[in-house]
Amino acid sequence: MLDTLEYLTVDGPDRSRDVIVYALSTCGFCKRAMAFLEGRGFRYRYLYMDKIPFETKAEAKKLLKERWKMDVAFPFAVVDGKEALVGFIEPDWKRVFGEQA
Amino acid sequence: MKEKTAVDTAAFVEAVAAKQGWTANPDREFTASLVDGLTVNWNRYGYFLCPCRDTEGSREADAAVICPCAYAQADVDEFGHCFCALYLRPDFAASGGVPAGIPDRRFG
Repeated sequence: MLDTLEYLTVDGPDRSRDVIVYALSTCGFCKRAMAFLEGRGFRYRYLYMDKIPFETKAEAKKLLKERWKMDVAFPFAVVDGKEALVGFIEPDWKRVFGEQA
Repeated sequence: MKEKTAVDTAAFVEAVAAKQGWTANPDREFTASLVDGLTVNWNRYGYFLCPCRDTEGSREADAAVICPCAYAQADVDEFGHCFCALYLRPDFAASGGVPAGIPDRRFG
C-alpha cells in the first residue's frame, strides 16, 4: 500500500539514495528536512500526509509504525528502504547521509 | 465559522507567548511558516492544531496538541523551545540558541 501512494518527486543531481519523506505541509521542521536534502542535491520523493484522505493516512501510518517499530511523527523519512528517520534531528540525518555529525 | 488570516494567528501567537512568558521564535521566516501552518489548521479543523502534529481526527483526540500544546512548557524548560519551535524560552532566544528537532512527548 505504501508503494501505491502518490508521491511527488523533487529532482536532484544525486540519485544515489532512495529517499521518501512523509511530511506535513504545515510543519517547519519538515521544510527544514526537505531543504537539507535539496541543499545536498539529493533527489527524493515526498508526501504531505495532511493532504491525503484520513483513512489512507491512517493506514500508511499504521504500516510505517509496524515496519519501523517507531511512532510516526513528522518528518518521517525512509532511506534506501533500510533505515527510518523520525523528526528532523540534524545529526541523525547527517549520519544517515554519510556526513560527520 | 469565519476564516482566520495569518495576521489573526500572529496576534494569537504573540498573546500566548506573552501570557506564558515565552518568546516567539525570532527567526521570522520560520515563524511565519508556522503561523501560516496554524492558520491552515484553524481553517481546516476549527482549532489551532500544532503545525507539526498530525490530526487524530477530532478536537477531543487532538486536545493535547492544540497550540499551545500540553507539552510545550516541559519542552521549553528542557530544550529551550517547544516541539515545533514556535515558542522559545526567553534566555534561550536571547543567547542566540538555534532550535533543533526534539522528540515528541505525545508518544512519550
